[in-house]
Amino acid sequence: MRRYETVFIVNPELSEEQRQPLFDKLNGLISGDGCMLVKFDEWGPKKLAYEIKRHARGYYVLMDFCGDGSLVREIERNMRLDDRVLKYMTVLQDTAVDIEAVKDEIEAAKEQESKSEPAEQAIGESTEKEESGLTGTVGAPASETKAPENTPETREQEEQEHGTI
Amino acid sequence: MAQFKRKRRLFRRRKICRFCADSSLAIDYKDPRTLRFFTTERGKIIPRRVSGNCAKHQRQLTTAIKRARTIALMPYAATLSHY
Repeated sequence: MRRYETVFIVNPELSEEQRQPLFDKLNGLISGDGCMLVKFDEWGPKKLAYEIKRHARGYYVLMDFCGDGSLVREIERNMRLDDRVLKYMTVLQDTAVDIEAVKDEIEAAKEQESKSEPAEQAIGESTEKEESGLTGTVGAPASETKAPENTPETREQEEQEHGTI
Repeated sequence: MAQFKRKRRLFRRRKICRFCADSSLAIDYKDPRTLRFFTTERGKIIPRRVSGNCAKHQRQLTTAIKRARTIALMPYAATLSHY
């Protein structure tokens, strides 16, 4: 089993209720046999470094999952067909993963979350950040997501850059 | 020739790879704030001979920056109007 990471950008104009069916659909793809969702992390709205389909902002989501090539193909096919997804990128993280180890990792992440929740919110966020090395977490989309400040004017690239790296 | 070499060395500060010096500093395409140190204002990747990175880390850095560009976390080409 291989471990992949998909970052995709959803249309930022969609409301929470409009986004949810899409996320449910994608999660549903991973729920089958021989694959497992490790993490579904919504970074929230971020400024894009260049315009994608005339959008200057985008709603980023990170999907960390285990599976094989056919699963990736299926997920990317769905994203390609879906107008709500502006862009996506799948990165191979590991070619051989032990499913038990991943399960343990999920458990540990859950535990960490429940532990930090009763404590101060800020502490929980910082530990999460260290753990994943991300800039934004679900809890703190607004404060953490100022990332690309320079607004460039790159256009055509997005058409060619689609797909797996 | 040897003398020439020594002379040159006097004027150059030895650059060290920042990722080798600080193991806590990770290269991750999802972290554009760290990657930005290694690009110019225009968004170009700074060469190894300028940044002083070691070959291994420069290689990882390049991949990370290119990935970050793909997913619009970093620009392919930035305008200078913002600086």
